[in-house]
Amino acid sequence: MSNRIVVDPVTRIEGHLRIEAEIQDGKLVDAYSSGTMVRLIERILQGRDPRDAWAFVGRVCGVCTTVHSLASCRSVEDALGIVIPPNAEIVRNLMYCAQYMHDHVVHFYHLHALDWVDVVNALQADPKATSELAQSISNWPKSSPGYFSDLQKRVKGFVESGQLGIFTNGYWGHPAYKLPPEVNLIGLAHYLEALEWQKEMVKVHAIFGGKNPHPNYLVGGMACSIGLDDVSVINAERLAYIGRLFEEGKRFVEQVYIPDLLAIASFYKDWAAIGGGLGNYLVYGDLPTNGYNDPSSFLIPSGAILNKDISTVYDVDLREDAQVQEFISRSWYEYSEGDKAGLHPWKGETNVKYTGPKPPYEHLNVEEKYSYLKTPRWKGNAMEVGPLARMLVGYARGREDFKEVVDSALAKLDVPVTALFSTLGRTAARGLETQLIANWAMDFYDQLLTNIRNGDTRMADTSKFNPERWEASAQGVGHTEAPRGALAHWCVIKDQKLENYQLVVPTTWNASPRDPEGNPSAYESSLMDNTPIADPEQPLEILRTVHSFDPCLACAVHLYDEDGKQVNRVKVL
Amino acid sequence: MPTTSYPKLLVLGIGNLLMGDEGVGVHLAQRLAEQPLPSGIDVLDGGTGGFHLTNYFTSYPCLILIDATLDERPPGTIRLLEPRFSSDFPRSMSTHDIGLRDLLEGLQVMGQMPKVYLFAVSIAELQEMHIGLSPEVEKVMPELEERVKVLAGELVGKGVKV
Repeated sequence: MSNRIVVDPVTRIEGHLRIEAEIQDGKLVDAYSSGTMVRLIERILQGRDPRDAWAFVGRVCGVCTTVHSLASCRSVEDALGIVIPPNAEIVRNLMYCAQYMHDHVVHFYHLHALDWVDVVNALQADPKATSELAQSISNWPKSSPGYFSDLQKRVKGFVESGQLGIFTNGYWGHPAYKLPPEVNLIGLAHYLEALEWQKEMVKVHAIFGGKNPHPNYLVGGMACSIGLDDVSVINAERLAYIGRLFEEGKRFVEQVYIPDLLAIASFYKDWAAIGGGLGNYLVYGDLPTNGYNDPSSFLIPSGAILNKDISTVYDVDLREDAQVQEFISRSWYEYSEGDKAGLHPWKGETNVKYTGPKPPYEHLNVEEKYSYLKTPRWKGNAMEVGPLARMLVGYARGREDFKEVVDSALAKLDVPVTALFSTLGRTAARGLETQLIANWAMDFYDQLLTNIRNGDTRMADTSKFNPERWEASAQGVGHTEAPRGALAHWCVIKDQKLENYQLVVPTTWNASPRDPEGNPSAYESSLMDNTPIADPEQPLEILRTVHSFDPCLACAVHLYDEDGKQVNRVKVL
Repeated sequence: MPTTSYPKLLVLGIGNLLMGDEGVGVHLAQRLAEQPLPSGIDVLDGGTGGFHLTNYFTSYPCLILIDATLDERPPGTIRLLEPRFSSDFPRSMSTHDIGLRDLLEGLQVMGQMPKVYLFAVSIAELQEMHIGLSPEVEKVMPELEERVKVLAGELVGKGVKV
């Protein structure tokens, strides 16, 4: 029997994302990933002042607002030859670290954990046993039997009332849930604590960026000013507050997120052999410690790995014509050079030509064009981007800090390094890099204080802010490692205006359709890699792998029988 | 006419400014931010903030949300709702609703849910990315602005003269 499954989730960057997959004998055998909403931010930016682009791109996505603004500033600075002052670099890095810690914790607890933690089953837990277990894995203070039993009582009311989606919309009781009730209860407790915690972490953005959401950036540096004794700017008191936010953030990551991640992972080791997919990984690099123009100073090193071979890391050059290219042979666009062409983003074209079925439709024609996402390739290869790619490239480059956190986690779980090439590996890598970032944030914070004490309060280089000082034409590329993966903006400036602007976002790398050779991208490839489906009515396993990429979406899952009829539709938070 | 009055409240416009009518809440917040309002009434352009907005929900006892909804009513239809659970929100809100729903569920479980009023503005469909409102939605902006200001004034006990 073959079942057609349609997963039709929504992402904030790309609009709607939909996956169509075939099940045969309890396994996924084929998968197609489609972006079903057109995204034409490129068109909005054409003809605009390059100095304003960061504010527009910051609105593309609600979760990654800061990373788009950062990539945009870097892109324009790169084109105009602007080098920002060291403090601006550090402030950008600190905002980046805060974004990362926030995003990864929220992703883990509020989107992904519920694929592994059965929150309704948590009501069966023994509070005393839960307390003992919690205390055996962490020093986190909220771990008494009374704490857990109070929580159970509170949640019981909500479960019985049936009014909250989290307790009514999941696949609770699904046979693929393997955790004992006590671990489920710890997961539920920390789901709630993480909600409380995350609202503090983003205050870093409000302080450095002037407001949140959508904090302020500035081409040439940062818009904030620093004066230790000045009440109207970022002063000693506010800096001390930021220091406390990062310290508390680090404590939460170390004492809650990481112990939970390892405890949960230890019950799901079978997922270390599921959902690996491509085995090709791409990282642009980020967190400069000696300026954006010195990639050797990046705390997150750039590089590419092919075919799971971590003995070789290839260098990546985003300027070279033949490295990053976007294809449209299976996407609803047209190129002036025809459907077979691959274009480097500086020469990128965004001309929509929809040839798909008229909505509402049951199935896409996946033999032809089936997505609004273009298909990016690196030297012709499909690549996975994101936390797993970053941890693997850092590890393969022999970086001690990467090796330490990775090897320690592998040892605790008693699995080999090859376990990383999987859905479980992707989810674990996200936690491990949060651990690294939380440590680095403290170093950046100390460095900022040292610079200020030494009298350096420069926050921006405005010498080239006036367009009269620009070349008649210029092009730049700004890259960052967004929480979800490698992100870059390519800009072409002519006569002081943006002539072309192309974003290649992480979800495009991971969720794009097949390329002209018919090779799948990361989502498609991962879903086709050994994914079991215990119950076609409740395809929890698909969600585990799709969510492991942090696609930032809620999924509406539609199930079809072999005749293509919809048999079930489940909304999953 | 609300019976309770609050010491302060937040008018929170949410939506994506780059997606035409989907940004109606943000457009309204930006217009209100340029006007003098009675003390106790704050205005925020919440953009596509999702989880980033938690702090605002826990630091105000009352919020007035303005958002777009795809509910097949004529574009520009304004409805005032008093949602208590995320399931009370219109089913099909715009692309940023996921984070907001998760956030509201969490606030509910934590017992920190403030009083929420929601002005839901019906829009035709998600449009190609552009900045600005359609004539249908632009036409109801004065009415929307007036209704938000009147409700906000009543809620902070300043009467209807705003």
